[in-house]
Amino acid sequence: MTLLEARHLYKRFGTIEALDGVSLSLRRHEILAIVGESGSGKSTLLNVLAGREAPDAGEVLYDGAPIAALGELELRRLQRSRWGFIHQDPRQALRLNVSAGGNIGERLMAAGGRNYGGIRRTAAQWLEAVEIDPARLDDYPRNFSGGMMQRLQIAATLVTGPELVFMDEPTGGLDVSVQARILDLIRGLVRQLGLAAVLVTHDIGVARLLADRIVVMRRGQIVETGLTDQVLDDPHHEYTQLLVSSVLPV
Amino acid sequence: MQGYNFAYLDEQTKRMLRRAILKAVCIPGHQIPFASREMPLPYGWGTGGIQVTAAIIGPDDVLKVIDQGADDTTNAVSIRKFFARTAGVETTTRTDEASIIQTRHRIPETPLAEGQIIVYQVPMPEPLYRLESSRATAAKLHATADYGAMHVKLYEEITRFGRVALSYDYPVMVNERYLMSPSPIPAFDNPKLNMSPALQLFGAGREKRLYALPPYTRVRSLDFEDHPFHPGRANAVCELCGADNTYLDEIIADDQGGRIFVCSDTDYCEGRHDPA
Repeated sequence: MTLLEARHLYKRFGTIEALDGVSLSLRRHEILAIVGESGSGKSTLLNVLAGREAPDAGEVLYDGAPIAALGELELRRLQRSRWGFIHQDPRQALRLNVSAGGNIGERLMAAGGRNYGGIRRTAAQWLEAVEIDPARLDDYPRNFSGGMMQRLQIAATLVTGPELVFMDEPTGGLDVSVQARILDLIRGLVRQLGLAAVLVTHDIGVARLLADRIVVMRRGQIVETGLTDQVLDDPHHEYTQLLVSSVLPV
Repeated sequence: MQGYNFAYLDEQTKRMLRRAILKAVCIPGHQIPFASREMPLPYGWGTGGIQVTAAIIGPDDVLKVIDQGADDTTNAVSIRKFFARTAGVETTTRTDEASIIQTRHRIPETPLAEGQIIVYQVPMPEPLYRLESSRATAAKLHATADYGAMHVKLYEEITRFGRVALSYDYPVMVNERYLMSPSPIPAFDNPKLNMSPALQLFGAGREKRLYALPPYTRVRSLDFEDHPFHPGRANAVCELCGADNTYLDEIIADDQGGRIFVCSDTDYCEGRHDPA
């Protein structure tokens, strides 16, 4: 069952082809990693898939229907209920002067939640689910560590039970031990909730840990795609071979 | 008065304003931009309200102007005189005698009736102003009725203070569609906005926006099921008329720290202790 499909996407910034004929599909409950070096167009692809940017040509289909035909209102509704977007920098998504509970509750209230006690209980449960002490429900994210902020962003995104989550380098900028715990957390939640996810990363290790399938991008084009293990253990394209071999041996 | 058009503004300007007002009435609670004019008083003193009043006033109208509920404050007296001179209309301090009431900060205690128009002076028409710094984004949030952020604000108030501690400019939903700033009226007056028989017009001169509530429009103060809206009021009775159901001003009565509470609506208060 195809949940999300991209057909021949093109997007150009000045003279740079950020997307040069990209097609891909994502099934329900599947995690797809988009890997590639900086400037390969992977973040642009993610933004186009998530409806945050319009492609110059081509279309994105969600549940078989083109999202461009939805109109802004429907798209917004989709983005804030059935989809989620996790930014690399949680400060972009969170309100730093609003308590952790308020941040988690925002999507619930936008979806019509009007019971203060209920929103609080749900927020506390989600704090626990992302391994933050529920006693910090009324604390401000600006007093949280980077890792905690990222976990809060994950809770605030998943609270409405989306079926599709876009992740842009969710562990970028965190130190290695914190990264490992967040990856572990994401892996657990994604399986437990049966999410489909598109994950952008330049870290092959992150892709190996989380993704079912991998798409390798270079200069706006997909150069290789396949099951994660297959692509990483037996890369065919020379660029993929380079990416895989450039991972530091531990 | 020589050299001025009726009610100060030229007829073209009034037509522009009336078009905006008609549009505002058609889309209750939606902010309509208009070409706000320089007025002979500073922004923040009621330029928006005066322009709306000037656009709708006719020779047969009877005008009442209140500021903080009082008819005798500088601003109220000046605006009343302004229209008495430029339009030659009759003015009054009695709520039930007025056909147009221009107001800042209050809705009269005496219930408004069909056929009356109340004009609010609005400093900041955008209810999302403090939550969303970009006006373009705020407009999009209105277009998609994306008002989660305002509920987050109320959630934070309850979390910090145990209740929503907004005592004025308490946000309302109009017709379950548009989030609207009721201008800085006390939350106590919010219930009077709902299903009012009078036409309610809101003008913001500096921000160049106006909006409206046609008669009998549903207006709901935002709240939570388990923390219902509570119109705040000082726990006291009026020292002058003994009213226990009106909005009260606290006044320092001497230099020993003595304080008294009196009705903020001077016309209503006088009507009670000194029936004409």
